[in-house]
Amino acid sequence: MITSTAEMTAGDHVCAVPVSDEQLWELTAEFVAAGLARGEQVVYFDDGTAGSVLGRLAADRVRVARPLHTGQLEIVPSAITRQVFHTPVPEAREILRAKIDQAEADGYTGFRMTGQWSYGMSRPVGAVPFTDYDAALHTLVRERSMILLCLYDQRRYTNAQIEELRAVHRDELDAPNTYDDGLLRVTRTGSSTARLAGEIDHSNRPVIARLLEAALDEALRAHSASTDIELNLASLRFLDVAAAVSLVHAAEEFPSTHRLVLVDVTPRVGRVLDRCGAPFAAQLLVREIDEPREPVLDATRRFDPSGAGSDRDEPEAIR
Amino acid sequence: MRVETTRVANPVRLQHMAGFYDSMPDLVGQALPLVSAAFARAEPVALAVRPTTERALHDVAGGAAGFVTLESAATARGSGQTMATRRARQLRELTAAGAVTVLTEHDHELDGVDGRYWTELDAAQSIALGDLPVSLVCFFPQFPLHLEILDGARRNHPQLLVAGERRRNPAHRSPRDVLAAIPASTPLLLGPPEVTLTYTAWQLHDVRCAVEQVLADVPTFVATRIEDVVLAVNEVATNAVEHGGHQARLALWVDDDELVCEVHDIGTLVEPLPGMRAPHPSQPRGRGLWIARQLCDVLHIWWDAQGTHVRLHAGP
Repeated sequence: MITSTAEMTAGDHVCAVPVSDEQLWELTAEFVAAGLARGEQVVYFDDGTAGSVLGRLAADRVRVARPLHTGQLEIVPSAITRQVFHTPVPEAREILRAKIDQAEADGYTGFRMTGQWSYGMSRPVGAVPFTDYDAALHTLVRERSMILLCLYDQRRYTNAQIEELRAVHRDELDAPNTYDDGLLRVTRTGSSTARLAGEIDHSNRPVIARLLEAALDEALRAHSASTDIELNLASLRFLDVAAAVSLVHAAEEFPSTHRLVLVDVTPRVGRVLDRCGAPFAAQLLVREIDEPREPVLDATRRFDPSGAGSDRDEPEAIR
Repeated sequence: MRVETTRVANPVRLQHMAGFYDSMPDLVGQALPLVSAAFARAEPVALAVRPTTERALHDVAGGAAGFVTLESAATARGSGQTMATRRARQLRELTAAGAVTVLTEHDHELDGVDGRYWTELDAAQSIALGDLPVSLVCFFPQFPLHLEILDGARRNHPQLLVAGERRRNPAHRSPRDVLAAIPASTPLLLGPPEVTLTYTAWQLHDVRCAVEQVLADVPTFVATRIEDVVLAVNEVATNAVEHGGHQARLALWVDDDELVCEVHDIGTLVEPLPGMRAPHPSQPRGRGLWIARQLCDVLHIWWDAQGTHVRLHAGP
């Protein structure tokens, strides 16, 4: 059973059904990062989603400027992604086969691809079925040991489509237990560490208190556990005042042996914490993101092979 | 933005006194002993008076040394609570070095339609400056155009200046009682909004997106300012659905100079002017509106039979 996109190796064809956008960016970024680290060529088929994926890669501190420059990471523009579904299947397969051969010739250790293909499901009746493209890709996975991650998220695909696509995939990613309400995603990354992605407001604020309580409880019981409860906030885009106050209060109520450590805090979230008295809480440590983020949006514009950026969707702004 | 916690340990608290004058020389004559006494204690005297009065005070006191001019009320757009927020911010800095005497004067140009601005300002100052070592003396004409102003002044001030003496004011009421009798003013209606949105507690994300979207096209707003304005609107919007019933209504107007936002809910306020004072750090709630007030240029709360209403203005 595959539980992480990072575990995927040559010849794997896996589908995943992210429950939220945050999980979609998380899975995609992990998949891309693993490929880059292994020296593989990574191709992402954009359809208005690349900006968020690059934003998540930046939050994960994956350096993408150079891979984008050399072509190790290629972002296929939206217009071309959509064009694929107007190309006959055999022709599309040959183009891709040539691309994989080229990657091998260029010295890459492998070839992996993923992307946003929901357009292929939304075309009118009578067009070539989406599953035919998937079948063609599957042959390439077998023949050329490509790595293929198919993402069918619940926002862009209907339940019926997801069931149909699940049926044609042998392997489905089985992600570990997390909290995800569509606005906030909490991933436990260790016994006393977790990562928060998305937004915290009045609707999901109690989750934080419960999470901290559970993590602290675990840390206190386990003899060898760390005395720091660490929350990574790199991908937290919004924190409301009451939630910031509850983080400060939670830290103050920790036993004196333990600390709450917030790492990779963005300036936006950092300002809210500051205004809520975080600097005065002795058991709360706030570590801001130290490195300036790479200018990811510029990178995609510069390497847009279609030349003019006007015919593709703009990546979502990163704030 | 400076953030400080409430100085609860400070033994000196606001002293709030009203004085009445029949002419400018009379006002200066009543003020001079207060100025001399403050200077004798080495306290600065902050002034929020008309320019002619300020010059006259400088003349009789032998120069401008020791005086501080407080921010003008013209930009508070007739919102007494907004003026009180700003004055609290300015006086919090001034009083960091010690006690301050503040002299203010009624200005009929700020009366609005019925003079209610002054009652709201004084009630809001009683709350916002409550924990500061400030001796605030508010001077009113004996016969203003709107007699309601005197009515408010007699209820708002715990002390009265009579014949140069401090006297306890038996008509004094708490800010809550004053505002129950004379509610905060209703601002003038604006034109049709650019965006309207009805939302619940689970749709605050949509509220934030709506604000982000209208500001994204305004070149004068930089990214960090947009983030702060989104936070301010989020806090006001949260308050409406948290205390005011499960649904609330948002309206937005935007141009190059500012964003104007209104939030309406059907609830009633427990505290008439929330967010006027920084809550104590140990208090879990009540900080959101205080931060929103600090981040906005104007934040005005009023209420009527339909419910509670907030209008905020935020410039770039």
